[in-house]
Amino acid sequence: MSSFGVVLLLHGLALAASTAQPLPGIAIERRLADRYRLAVGDTVRLTPAADRPAARYLVEAIYQPKADPATALRGEYQIRFHLPELSRLLGAADRVDRIAVLGRPGIPADSTAFRLNQPAFGYRAYPSERIASESSRTFAVVSRFHRAIGVISIVASAVFLLCIMLLKVEERRLDAAVMRMIGISRATVFRAFVLEATLVAAVGSGLGVGLAAVAGALTNWVYRRRFETSLVFSHLSPDIVAFGVGLSLVLGVAVGALAARRLVTARPLALWRRAG
Amino acid sequence: MTVVLGQDLTKVYSLNGRQVAALRGVSLTIAAGEYLAITGPSGSGKSTLLQLLGGLDSPTGGRLELMGRRVEGLSDDELTDLRLRQVGFIFQRFHLMSVLTARENVELPLAEAGVGRRERSERAAELLAYVGLADRADHRATQLSGGEMQRVAIARALANRPALILADEPTGELDAATGAQILELFDRLHQDGVTLVVVTHDEHLAARVPRRVHLLDGRIDRDELATAR
Repeated sequence: MSSFGVVLLLHGLALAASTAQPLPGIAIERRLADRYRLAVGDTVRLTPAADRPAARYLVEAIYQPKADPATALRGEYQIRFHLPELSRLLGAADRVDRIAVLGRPGIPADSTAFRLNQPAFGYRAYPSERIASESSRTFAVVSRFHRAIGVISIVASAVFLLCIMLLKVEERRLDAAVMRMIGISRATVFRAFVLEATLVAAVGSGLGVGLAAVAGALTNWVYRRRFETSLVFSHLSPDIVAFGVGLSLVLGVAVGALAARRLVTARPLALWRRAG
Repeated sequence: MTVVLGQDLTKVYSLNGRQVAALRGVSLTIAAGEYLAITGPSGSGKSTLLQLLGGLDSPTGGRLELMGRRVEGLSDDELTDLRLRQVGFIFQRFHLMSVLTARENVELPLAEAGVGRRERSERAAELLAYVGLADRADHRATQLSGGEMQRVAIARALANRPALILADEPTGELDAATGAQILELFDRLHQDGVTLVVVTHDEHLAARVPRRVHLLDGRIDRDELATAR
């Protein structure tokens, strides 16, 4: 079996009866086997294009490929061939698109790529880390985009919280007036309202984290089923939780302090009259 | 001992650019242990006088002393401290903190005054027993009846052993039977030496108070002592 995988568009895939002659073996990925109910020992006919002749192959193995976000959404399936069989099927015996070279432990990929590129006759070698880095660049951008959306959401919810707190302060004006009338100091009233805002922000953050966890789990469940993959589509990492909770608490406390300040700067009688 | 000394008190409000005189030269002296009712029609200045006596507002003119201390010119923080230690308020609608228990409501002014946890717990228990609510100490304010809430409010007002208790229509939100129980409690406070000033429209309440000050148009119309109870 060749050491690399090939993505092949399937045309006219069909089950066929076993034949007496030994057939070339292939390995197919689990999703493909599940979709067409294939098992080891089954025979399939494959063709690289609808107008090309098909060849018979024996399913020798079913494997689970590593989840790859770059290919998960394409709706393609992987089949692995022995290299000569792949060349025969494609009708291009002297042509391959990609070859993975596995170096011995301790041999640096950079110098290996450099030495492979020295002859430079029709190919280009890259260290795998560089390919991984370039292929994940899109995801890094998407990740930053998601973070920006998260920050905007939290800030927007803080504005919403500000409005709620200000309304709540209007409701609590009478309580504040009574506290001030019975001799409770401005500082104590201020602390009480800031503490209340902090608790509201903390409980809200907790609920938000819980909601995010549930929404993330639901997202993963739906999209894993939809794309038949083990990829993680939504991940609630500790640093994101810490960032979200921290930002919510800071904004909540600030908003509470702002609202409480409106209360304690008024004289008790003025508060009493406005509350009445 | 004189608790309140008010001389020629005036209070003028500015209303839509117009000067409105709520008090026009009120002189009033209240001795320790007195039980006094301030009566009068709406707009006669009862509430304004109560606010001045409670350190909630300052007079525009005249001289006001509470426990020998001049009230005019005190800062907001000084007035707050005066209210905390020298004045107890009882409101018509009780105004307890709904999220706190009866005990916690009574402990609130004690905590603000810096009383230690154990001492304030004991004091709150003692006061709740005094107003007949020892068994309701751990109930939230919302779990109490109107009469019970007013009793807790009375216990709260007594918390820091103030020199003066001010009550604004204390039976206004209560039915006749419950109101009568509150009045009996006030009688007991008076017997125990508490200085009590009640603002009321309730003739029944005013009739049982030893001293009645009737205000009319911002002035004292009558200041009379009951001849018989």
